[in-house]
Amino acid sequence: MNGTVSLLDLYQRYNKQVQFVKVYIREAHPVDGWWFGKGIMNFLLRLSKSKVSWNIYDPKTIEERRAAAGDCEESLQYGIKTYVDEMDDLVNKAYAAWPTRLYLINKEGIVVYAGGLGPFGFKPAALKRAIHSYLAKE
Amino acid sequence: MILFKQSHSGAQVDTIKDRKEASAWQKSYDSKAPKPGDLAPDFEVRDIQGEHPIRLSDFKGNTPVALIFGSFT
Repeated sequence: MNGTVSLLDLYQRYNKQVQFVKVYIREAHPVDGWWFGKGIMNFLLRLSKSKVSWNIYDPKTIEERRAAAGDCEESLQYGIKTYVDEMDDLVNKAYAAWPTRLYLINKEGIVVYAGGLGPFGFKPAALKRAIHSYLAKE
Repeated sequence: MILFKQSHSGAQVDTIKDRKEASAWQKSYDSKAPKPGDLAPDFEVRDIQGEHPIRLSDFKGNTPVALIFGSFT
């Protein structure tokens, strides 16, 4: 789609100037939770040709969570190395990250961009503008 | 300084079952999320093999960091 910015685009353009860290957090819509694998949501999401999975059960152990994160990394192929939040969800909670969220942290460890909650607030184009603006001031 | 340390063995929080539970979860944490100008909470995470731990603070003084949070669904 014209004008759409993907995480892959961002990574490919800025990975020499910005460290990209993907943190896999608890599943958003597992089969045993708030599942979108049926009904109209399933129909609409399949139309979008999304690469997300509809067959994941909520991991119950850190080993299961790491395995799901590995499957996710392999399927989505952002090129960004994936790290995994622990089962206590501490990182997720500290950043209010569930279901998806984007941040840009500057060299001093200060937040310069805090995206809104996904899916509606998940805007790679806004992160791109934040990166561009930050790097221009460097 | 690391602001909190993970247990690496914590129990699974109950699976969110519907929109109501999702909204409750987000209401609980969203107001505490860091905003522009705030110090980003430090953390440690490991890769999908459970190895190679990194901390956000590892990059301090060196490079900005784009944090991408998400799952497979």
